[in-house]
Amino acid sequence: MKTSAPFSRPDPAPRPDVARIGPLTVLQRTADEAEETAQRPLEWGIIRRLFGYTKPHARRRNWLIFLTLSRSVQFSLLTWLFSAAIAGPVATGDLRGLWIAVLGYGLLALLTEGMFHFRMRYAQELGENVVHKLRAEVFANVQRQPMAFYHKTKLGGILGRMTSDIEALRAGIQDVFFVSIVQFGQMIGAAIIMAWTDPVMFLVVLGLAPVIWKVNRHFRDRLSRSSRATQESFSRVTATLAESVNGIRVTQGFVREQTNAGLFRRLLDDHSRHNINLARASSTLNPILELNNQFFIAALLLLGGWRVFRGDMQVGELITFFFFANLFFHPITVLGNQYNHALVAMAGAERVFRLIDRKPEWSETPDVADLPDPRRPGAHASASGIDLEFRGVTFAYEPGRPVLRDVSFRAAPGQTVALVGHTGSGKSSIINLATKFYLPDAGEILVDGREIRHVTGRSLHRQLGIVTQQNFLFSGSVLENIRFARPEATETEVRAALAALGCPDLPEQLPHGLDTEVGERGGGLSLGQRQLVCFARAWLADPRLVILDEATSAIDALTEARLQEALGRLLRGRTSLVVAHRLSTIRSADLIVVLDRGVAVERGDHASLLAAGGAYARLHAQFASGGAAHE
Amino acid sequence: MTAVPPPNAPTDLQLVRRLVGLAWRYRLRCVQVLLLQCVLLTLGLAGLSFTGHGIDYIKHVVETRDDPAAPAPELNLPFVSEPPADWSPFLVIAAIAGAILLFAITRAFLNYVYGVAINVLVQRHLVVDLRAELYAKLQRLSFRFFDANTTGSIITRVTGDVQNVRMFLDQVLIQSFIMVVSLTVYLIYMISLSPGLTVACLATTPVLALASVVFSRWIQPRYAANRKLADRLVQHFTESIQGVQVVKAFGREDEDRAAFAARNDEVMNQQRGIFWRVSIFSPAIGLLTRVNLLVLLGYGGWLVVQGELPLGAGLVVFAGLLEQFSGQVNQLATIVNSVQQSLVASRRVFEILDAPVDVTDAPDALPCPALRGEVRFEHVDFAYGNPAEGAAFVLHDVDLHVPAGACVAILGATGAGKSALMSLVPRFFDPQRGRLLIDGEDVRRYRVEDLRRRIGIVFQESFLFSNTIAANLAFGHPDATREQIERAARIAQAHDFITALPKGYDTVLGEGGNTLSGGQRQRLALARALLLEPAILLLDDPTAAIDAQTEQEIFTALENAIQNRTTFIVAHRVSTLRRADFIVVLENGRIVQRGTHAELLRLPGAYRRVAALQLVDGRELDQPEAPAA
Repeated sequence: MKTSAPFSRPDPAPRPDVARIGPLTVLQRTADEAEETAQRPLEWGIIRRLFGYTKPHARRRNWLIFLTLSRSVQFSLLTWLFSAAIAGPVATGDLRGLWIAVLGYGLLALLTEGMFHFRMRYAQELGENVVHKLRAEVFANVQRQPMAFYHKTKLGGILGRMTSDIEALRAGIQDVFFVSIVQFGQMIGAAIIMAWTDPVMFLVVLGLAPVIWKVNRHFRDRLSRSSRATQESFSRVTATLAESVNGIRVTQGFVREQTNAGLFRRLLDDHSRHNINLARASSTLNPILELNNQFFIAALLLLGGWRVFRGDMQVGELITFFFFANLFFHPITVLGNQYNHALVAMAGAERVFRLIDRKPEWSETPDVADLPDPRRPGAHASASGIDLEFRGVTFAYEPGRPVLRDVSFRAAPGQTVALVGHTGSGKSSIINLATKFYLPDAGEILVDGREIRHVTGRSLHRQLGIVTQQNFLFSGSVLENIRFARPEATETEVRAALAALGCPDLPEQLPHGLDTEVGERGGGLSLGQRQLVCFARAWLADPRLVILDEATSAIDALTEARLQEALGRLLRGRTSLVVAHRLSTIRSADLIVVLDRGVAVERGDHASLLAAGGAYARLHAQFASGGAAHE
Repeated sequence: MTAVPPPNAPTDLQLVRRLVGLAWRYRLRCVQVLLLQCVLLTLGLAGLSFTGHGIDYIKHVVETRDDPAAPAPELNLPFVSEPPADWSPFLVIAAIAGAILLFAITRAFLNYVYGVAINVLVQRHLVVDLRAELYAKLQRLSFRFFDANTTGSIITRVTGDVQNVRMFLDQVLIQSFIMVVSLTVYLIYMISLSPGLTVACLATTPVLALASVVFSRWIQPRYAANRKLADRLVQHFTESIQGVQVVKAFGREDEDRAAFAARNDEVMNQQRGIFWRVSIFSPAIGLLTRVNLLVLLGYGGWLVVQGELPLGAGLVVFAGLLEQFSGQVNQLATIVNSVQQSLVASRRVFEILDAPVDVTDAPDALPCPALRGEVRFEHVDFAYGNPAEGAAFVLHDVDLHVPAGACVAILGATGAGKSALMSLVPRFFDPQRGRLLIDGEDVRRYRVEDLRRRIGIVFQESFLFSNTIAANLAFGHPDATREQIERAARIAQAHDFITALPKGYDTVLGEGGNTLSGGQRQRLALARALLLEPAILLLDDPTAAIDAQTEQEIFTALENAIQNRTTFIVAHRVSTLRRADFIVVLENGRIVQRGTHAELLRLPGAYRRVAALQLVDGRELDQPEAPAA
């Protein structure tokens, strides 16, 4: 079957021949992107750096290390006491010795578990403290990045740092490090006691150790390979599922239910095949490890029995070995697993640190100063709108591919500048520059007469209001969203802002008034209402420069007609930069800049540009005749 | 996900009964798995017993070596005859060692078989069947369900929840059986060794079991709270990235960072409570286990000294049994948790399986070979939900007649009922009152599948699947030839840009088709609909996502498409609206205006307001015949 349907057969052996396969192809691609190395060899630099994060809690950390070390000694001692009591007093019938051993065992057990409380709590708290700090650092550094970072980086990737990678690190700190110490100590303790009891027998035990280690490592590798394959096949299932849910209208509209169900079943079968492979690997490992144990017992009986018969060894010593062998072998598998966790944590740590260390592409120059706000006391400028000027600005997102070439225009305080042009003509780039989200490659941008590079982004943004097509709202109530820029604003002020925008009735239209939650699905807010909230948010910020980027294009025509008035009120008395598709907005602008492939081909007001009969006049004809040009 | 069960939710008992019913489907495999476990249990006990008796044998041989009067050493193995008298002690020990090894090898093999068998049962059969069933059901469910549930929640039900449901089979049913059987066997063995020691050592067990159940109840809500806090933290982070433009544009970086720090602190502080409790519980359990060992050592040792218990076959075996016993008891907490989780999950899974499919074929449904495409709405009232439960009507008394081949444009605000009106035509929903006739026949009389095959739909956001362009165009007609596909693409004005792509029709679209421009995507969606040669074409605001300048691209495509087809088109631009044969304006579910562009321009009302805004020159308002260029 050749490209017959969006859902098609999972290819048992995925080949690079992408065009062949159905939804799997995309998933394979996503899998490649997510092909961030799951593991990474232990690296001293990373370990040392992580250790550095425990410095603020050095006392606790040192206590923890002490507790951990003593725990491994206590383990060996407990087992020794137990086996010694059986091999000694019990086997020989010495009751007094037995009571002493019982008493000693009880006391030691109490001490061990008592200390365990602290060892456990401290380890978890230490891990959480480190993770807490890492999260804050990741957040701070991500936030510090200029906008270019966000345009280039996928959300999923950054989220992975904050979630799975940091969790792997937490496991690394809370468990791997300390568990490894305990287990190592336990092994060494057991080894010493066994070697002291009977060196020859100990050699047998020692000989089995590398076998167990090897077997364990081998199967762990197989396990992690299978589990990766399983995860990949699972992500195919989930992604197909997501597509099916999102495309349900298309599916039902085109009567594809049964075909899809059949194809999904095949994906499921494929996934279960990987699952079974995984189960095979893990069902081999555990029995083999257990078999090893039994093998050892058999060998011990055989060899030990022979030596006991010959009189080289006491029965008691044989019993000691039965107990200690386990103490010695068990850590080997535990350590093998911890080693895996450690490698995963290493890979996570490396990625987290890379994100934390990421230098912003540019940062504020040392000679920046705040942009004075003339409306606040102590400022000199007098206009309530910002004076914004572009002088010969050239700009490229990628070197060598400029999206703006030598663009100049000026928005005097209080003026509205409309940007007009086809998609990709550079309108959004001008906005990105005017907001200092990006820096121009050549030319100057002057804000109130100051070069934008010498103005702090923050002070500029504080005098800025922006409304875009996306109308992004944060989860929380409508009230919280409106006063996003000024959390200290009272509800009265919010209502006043809504009234000023000509829509004081917004709260009444919402199910819970201003406390209505803005949820994943808009929580009962229509697109128009969401956009009004964005207008109110901008209004409350009382900006000197308003930027509207297709602010009304996502809204239906009837609602838009109502929003126009609010828009007009928002712009009054402020400088504004407007990208719009409505002639009504454009034609009232003080200045219209017509862009064509990054070049400002025309500048002027509506009347003069129409008269000029150039690009604007042509665009205008298209707009005004409502596509009639086509008939 | 808040699992607030609706008022008519099934009780836990009903759920359990249903889950057992689900397991019953796989009874043969279950029995197989359980039998394997019994064999494994026997082999494990045999190995342990042999070890103990072996030790005693060695001890006896050594102790009586210098005493010729002593009785010959005996193995005393249950169910096994004594070794021949002429065997040397070493040979006996070698035989025992060999037997232990044999048991171990058999066990290892059977363990493997068991591990694979349980996974085949659960992952290959139960999970696959359940997921396939869910998916098939989802595909047929009414859009109401998809509007009421987020994509994430639906995906979780098919993925995570199904895994939790299957836990009821392997973690609850099978595990309880194993637990009951092994505990009984262990107990019998231990009592046969020494009833007194059994009672003494197990005295702490009920405490242990109770403690872990109580503890898990005690800590669960805290873990749940922790997950909620952690989710909020991640959500905050996500929104800070998604809304970064807003945060930066309003200069709220510091405040946002502080808000994040507060959430971060919340998580940490809440964790402390969990850490503290867990760090109490684990050592306490550890201590109880040690107490068991202590009793074993003291009391058991005393019994050995008194000669009432053999050292190997008694004490050592007992120690082994005790360890296994507490291992099984520890399973109890896991089982209890699994029951909880699988009940919660099964509620959510069954909700999908039980959701009614609103639109079904009448028993004597008509096939629908070809349609002329005459559509008539007669007094249609429609609500998405059940009006009896308070759902609001989104269409009121809609009367509309569209002759075959005509084009009707629909204008209205968001929520005015435009999409609802259109979704009645392919029977995505049925109206509560009134009826809808196509070619003079009530739509409910047609076979749904046939009907939908005669109707082409272009949605507002044209959803394209991540596959090749050709496969996407053939979505409704998987057997279409390349010629048919290309013909549809040409009509939709998509052929040229498709062939300009490096791989042409074999270009794989990124997720959601995001490698194409809005105009291109819509033309593909149009071609997809046209490939069906539909008699009726539904266009739900096909130019919404396209900017005004690019709108031109799709006009020719639309004009080609609507030739000779009954067309419903939702639009907001006068440029589109004016092309229709007539226009209806919807307001709050009622048709408030209808007529041609020219007629409506002359009347005061919603249409004229919209037109005034868009035909901004205003010059044509009084002379509606707009000048063509």
